[in-house]
Amino acid sequence: MKKLLTILSILLVILIAPATVSANEGNEGGKINPKEIIFDHLGDHYGWEVPFMHSVRIPLPVIVKDKEGSWHIFSSSRLMHDAEYEGFAIAKDGQYAKKIVQISTQPDGTKTEYRPLDLSITKNVMALIISALVVMLCAFSVLRWYKKHNMKAPHKATAMLEVVVEFVYYGVIRPTLGAKAHRFAPYLLTVFFFILVMNLLGLIVIFPGGANLTGNIAVTMVLAVCTFIVTNLFGTKHYWKDIFWPDVPLWLKFPIPIMPVIEIFGMFTKPAALMVRLFANMMGGHMIVITLTLLIFIFAAFGVAVTGISTVLSVAFSLFMLLLDTLVSFIQAYVFTMLSTLFISLAQEEGHHEEKTEKLETK
Amino acid sequence: MELFTPDFGLIFWMFVVFALLLFLLGKFAWPVIVKSLEERADFIDKGVEYAQNAKEQLDNAKSEAAKYIQEAQKQQAEILRDAAKMKTQLIEEAKDAASKEAKKVMDAAKLSIEQSRKEAELQFRNEVSNFALNIAEKVMRQNMKSESAQSELVNKLIDEVEANN
Repeated sequence: MKKLLTILSILLVILIAPATVSANEGNEGGKINPKEIIFDHLGDHYGWEVPFMHSVRIPLPVIVKDKEGSWHIFSSSRLMHDAEYEGFAIAKDGQYAKKIVQISTQPDGTKTEYRPLDLSITKNVMALIISALVVMLCAFSVLRWYKKHNMKAPHKATAMLEVVVEFVYYGVIRPTLGAKAHRFAPYLLTVFFFILVMNLLGLIVIFPGGANLTGNIAVTMVLAVCTFIVTNLFGTKHYWKDIFWPDVPLWLKFPIPIMPVIEIFGMFTKPAALMVRLFANMMGGHMIVITLTLLIFIFAAFGVAVTGISTVLSVAFSLFMLLLDTLVSFIQAYVFTMLSTLFISLAQEEGHHEEKTEKLETK
Repeated sequence: MELFTPDFGLIFWMFVVFALLLFLLGKFAWPVIVKSLEERADFIDKGVEYAQNAKEQLDNAKSEAAKYIQEAQKQQAEILRDAAKMKTQLIEEAKDAASKEAKKVMDAAKLSIEQSRKEAELQFRNEVSNFALNIAEKVMRQNMKSESAQSELVNKLIDEVEANN
């Protein structure tokens, strides 16, 4: 019970921590701008905020290629507080708001902004690397156990990881892919654990976490594209035949190829659905938690009593939402993996005729 | 909206990080983990099967042992019965043999008794005939002292012979 109380109080502190930061952020004009705060938290940054210290950010490397084609690498701390360095600055507003732009002064005195090729290690990229390291740590800890103890079942944390691996492998990959499970298991397990770790790290509000990674469409897009590539690269003849010459009445595919067009369209909608599902779920969860926390500061204008009540309610709801998001993190990682497995297995289908002959041969 | 426009830098790094992760884990971690999981599952399955088999065999052995014991008991009973039968047979045979022997002895005794009786009879007859002859001789000597008696007898005998012829 005592432990539970400690955990709860820590959770409360964690929940309130970003709220104080955001309150400072939006409060500049004396008024809160919830939309700005929310999108600021969901977006990317060149530094990583530290709890309770709004002006301090953990500097991250900036890598940009300027208009002339030469690379510039420097610490993001040089661009903090609207500073300009080597002609680069973070745009405040306009088309490239909050991104690094190259500022060049024209002869007539006006300043033009040029968006350079930006490969900076931003907060999201850093979180990405941390997530990857965490996944590797997990996988290799299980591996080390096997190297050391051979056939024995792992204990403690390793056992938990192994249970998850087993859950995904025996729950999803093996039943769906059957004999081809070995071939695709590495990809699918990597995807599952990477998404899961990114989701869970995103829920932690302070340093190693806090980045809205899987709620960023670039990340989910890459994952969906990878599934697309794996699905189509290893697709069987039968799969391709089903796309371009499906078993439908002739008039549906010739002279106007209605079915092939639909099938080709389906090839792209499948990963697109994967991309949007993960993105929307995770972003939505983050957004709700932030909004609930922000409610405290919005209601602060109405006096102490209202603030008190809204604080209790907001914290309770935020806690509930965070717990729900923990569940959603797992479910979304699972769903992404499951659907990827399904798409891959659909592309692995052999023709029925071939199957029959195979069976006859074995008989 | 910034959220819906993917940033190139992030896409690039995501690809790099994900590819690296996939390569490292796909080459070194997952195959080994999956193989170990499967091997262990196999091992456990086999263990369970083995245990079941062993139990079955044990049960079989038990029932077999019971069967053997029953059979042995049956055999024992049979042997005992045979022994009893053999005993009575032996006794019977012995009795038979004894009675036969006794009969033989009896027969021999009877025979010797008969023989001795016959011998005695014969001896007795001889003695009686001797005795009778002696008596007859003595009687004859007495009667035949006179001449007339002798001729009378001769005549009488000749008469008898003549009467017979």
